[in-house]
Amino acid sequence: MTNKTAFFSRVVGLVQKIEDYILICLLLTMITLAVLQIFLRNFFDSGIIWGDSLVRVLVLWIGLVGAMVASRTDNHISIDILSRYLPARIKRYSSLATHVFTVVVTALMAWFSLNFVRMEMGENLIAFANVPAWVCESIIPIAFAVISLRYALFSIRLFVQLMTKKQATKKP
Amino acid sequence: MIYLFISLLILIALLGAPLFTVIIAAAMAGFYMAQIDLSVMAIELYRIADTPILLALPLFTFAGYILGESNTSQRLVRLTQAFLGWMPGGLAIVAFVVCALFTAFTGASGVTIVAMGALLYPALKQAGYQDDFSLGLVTTSGSLGLLLPPSLPLILYGIIAQQMGGGVAISIEDLFIAGIFPAILMIFMLSLWSIWVNKKNPIPLIKFSWKNAFTAIREAAWEIPLPVFVFVGIYSGYFAVSEAAAVTAMYVLVVEVFIYREIKLSQLATIIRESMVMVGGILLILGVSLALTNFLIDAEIPMKLFALCQKFVSSRLVFLILLNIFLLILGAMLDIFSAIIIMVPLMLPVALEYGVHPVHLGIIFLANMQIGYFTPPVGMNLFIASYRFNKPIVDIYRATIPFMLVLLLSVLIITYWPSLSLFLIL
Repeated sequence: MTNKTAFFSRVVGLVQKIEDYILICLLLTMITLAVLQIFLRNFFDSGIIWGDSLVRVLVLWIGLVGAMVASRTDNHISIDILSRYLPARIKRYSSLATHVFTVVVTALMAWFSLNFVRMEMGENLIAFANVPAWVCESIIPIAFAVISLRYALFSIRLFVQLMTKKQATKKP
Repeated sequence: MIYLFISLLILIALLGAPLFTVIIAAAMAGFYMAQIDLSVMAIELYRIADTPILLALPLFTFAGYILGESNTSQRLVRLTQAFLGWMPGGLAIVAFVVCALFTAFTGASGVTIVAMGALLYPALKQAGYQDDFSLGLVTTSGSLGLLLPPSLPLILYGIIAQQMGGGVAISIEDLFIAGIFPAILMIFMLSLWSIWVNKKNPIPLIKFSWKNAFTAIREAAWEIPLPVFVFVGIYSGYFAVSEAAAVTAMYVLVVEVFIYREIKLSQLATIIRESMVMVGGILLILGVSLALTNFLIDAEIPMKLFALCQKFVSSRLVFLILLNIFLLILGAMLDIFSAIIIMVPLMLPVALEYGVHPVHLGIIFLANMQIGYFTPPVGMNLFIASYRFNKPIVDIYRATIPFMLVLLLSVLIITYWPSLSLFLIL
């Protein structure tokens, strides 16, 4: 049991590291490329033809990977006026509800964007240089699947907590 | 049935579900009822990659986070104090100017209170200002620079307004120009108020000395060019906004990491992650809202909203008054980015029908949101200040309210005097 949990948290740690590095690479590439384009345009009157397209796709990727990372700690923008004043006991149930809601919505989103990417694969469109459009779009289903998975884990953990609490109170 | 669904969504949003999921659910339901394939959601989301100006968002955010983590705040305070410290109202005015500039670059995400407040609050008290006054001042100043370029909310408003299409011609450069005088008005009124409040409490002024000024300039030598080339670059048309953002990000990165060496490479990873988490949150809401907005426009919701408004509100003046009240409440409840993304698409068409200029609406919107940051009981900056300065939240309420009233007055002036914002661009 402890072996399994240790293995599990190692995997989680590794995934988080990979995400971090992807984020760092994306941002640094974006900054460098954007500045390089300005430099080339102003001093050499030229530029990388696909540079601007790549930078724009990078914005999407950074946004979605950033959102994946945000869901690690349930750190998404939300309205917390009501939940701030809820008593702790009710709050546990309400956050279980919102977590499950998030799992369902993001799973649906992952499914339908996967459909979209599959359609695009069939059409063989090129986004820029030799990169097909579906590769650029593939981050959408991936990101939503990851977010969904993370919230599913939150929900399970919360559910288990609630259940064990209940049993503990019943036992006297 | 529809109303039940909508109220359920609102409930789940109020219970704290991530806002983007609520928006997705609403948009999906709408498309489903219109019998449109739901893959359209991904197509709408992909529009993020077709909007060149969005590049400015991650780049300015990153630059702001770096500036927030380095000692820029100290150098900026010293510099401003050296040049403005001799004026009546001295340090208070310094604080307003410094916070406004800092917020313009870092966005009003609470960084200003955390970084600037830590410097200014003790300095103000030491200079002889009362505790309540100092506390109110730093709390209020946490969102003061929202109207100054290159503030992110200003850029975001421009992006949304541009996405709306439908005869709205609006450029981000225009917004940048329009925000300047309203921002100066706010700083001016706050400064007058500070001088008036402290007239029986003489504060010793700092004499201007060339030596001080020179040291301060030399210390901040690498950072002084930053606002200059952002402002001059954009206003002269030499840089597009997103290009200015790229240059700023690169410049700040090099200066703070390699020249001042105040940010270690290991820290840089954390800064990148935290800043991009914020960008991710904003972009995700923006992307899914594009879908919802499209649905709303197809369903002619803004027009219906206008028809409804017209039943009760006949004049522009009344509309503006109601707008102010609504935005103040909204600003206290919703964070500024989601408020812009969700409300502007609904509000802009209605405001246009009442003859409000889209640029002016942007300035009104943000000026109200700025006050919403410290409107009791739930304004975000109140909590940050309470946490940062270790004071009960009620003390913060009491200290902030006078400043809030001054700013309310300035917002009224900004709202009912459109030329103040528009005279340079029309």
